[in-house]
Amino acid sequence: MENPLHHFELHRLIPITLFGFDLSINQAVVMMWLVVAAVALLFILGGRHRRLVPMKFQSVVELAVLFLRQTVLDTMGPKGLVFLPLLIALFFFILFGNLFGLLPGAYTVTSQVMVTGVFALISFLLSFIVGFWYHGPGFLKKIFVPSGVPLWLLPLLVPIEMVSQLARPVTLAVRLFANMTAGHMVILVFFGLMFSGGLLVGWLPLGMTVALYLLEILVALIQAYVFVVLTCVYVGEAIHLH
Amino acid sequence: MTRNEGPLPASGLGVAMRIGLELVVATMVGTGLGWLGDRYLGTSPWLMLVGVVIGVAAGFLNVYRDIRQAEDENRE
Repeated sequence: MENPLHHFELHRLIPITLFGFDLSINQAVVMMWLVVAAVALLFILGGRHRRLVPMKFQSVVELAVLFLRQTVLDTMGPKGLVFLPLLIALFFFILFGNLFGLLPGAYTVTSQVMVTGVFALISFLLSFIVGFWYHGPGFLKKIFVPSGVPLWLLPLLVPIEMVSQLARPVTLAVRLFANMTAGHMVILVFFGLMFSGGLLVGWLPLGMTVALYLLEILVALIQAYVFVVLTCVYVGEAIHLH
Repeated sequence: MTRNEGPLPASGLGVAMRIGLELVVATMVGTGLGWLGDRYLGTSPWLMLVGVVIGVAAGFLNVYRDIRQAEDENRE
C-alpha cells in the first residue's frame, strides 16, 4: 500500500535558486496560483454586473461577503470594517485551499505548516499593529499587566500573559494545518483499505471514504471560518482591550 | 442582514474545535521558551520546568477567555 504521507511531500517542478534561497516552483506554489485564480475569477464574475436582483455568482459572493461583514461587526464592532477586505481575502484563500485539496490528485496548500504559519503571523502582527495604533506604547503594558492585581503576583502573571499571547498564532497555524493534513490522510487510508479489503468487505471502507469526504468538506468550511473569526477576535481585543 | 435566525449551527462546532488545541499549544510554547532559555543560559533544567508550569497556566487562561467570549456571543 502507498505511504499515506506521500501525498503531502513536495516535489520540485522547476528548480530556482536565488541568493542561496531555494525558490523552486513546487506543487504547493502551483496550487496557490490556481487558488488565487479561482478566487479572483469568482469575484470578477460575481462583481461584473452588479444587478439589483443578483444572479447566481453575484448572490454567492454577496452572501459570503455579507456573512463575513456581520461576523466582523459582531466581534470587532464598526471599527473593524477597515479590515474586512483582508479578512475576506484570508477566508476565501483558506477555503479554496482546503477545498481544492479535496480534488483527486491536487495538493492541499493549507496542509503546509509554513503556509498556515504565515497566515497566523499576519493575524498576530495585525493585532499588535492595531493595538499600538489605537493605544500607543501603553498597549504592551495593558495586555501584559492585568489591572487590579497585587504587585507580588506580577512576576508570575506577566510571563503567563506573554506565553498566552505567543501561543495564539501557533494555535491558529497548527489547527488549520493539522486538521487538513489529518483529514486528508484519513480519507487516503480508508481509500487504500478498500483495495486491500477485496470484494467481500471492500465496500465498507468505500462507504467510509464517501462519508469522510463529505465531513472533510464541512471541516474545510469550518476551519476557514474559525481562522477568520479568531483573527477578528484577536484584532478586536487589541482595539477594545477586553 | 441581521442574525435573528439564531447563530449558525457551525459556529458552536467552531468554538468546540478551537478549545482543545489551546491547552496543548500553550504548554508547548511555554516549555519551548523555557528550553531555549536553558540552552542560552546553561541553567538546565530549571527554566524549562518553570516554562511548563507557565505554559499550562497560559493554556487555561486562553481556554477561559475563549469560553467567556463564546458565552458573551450566545447571550447577545
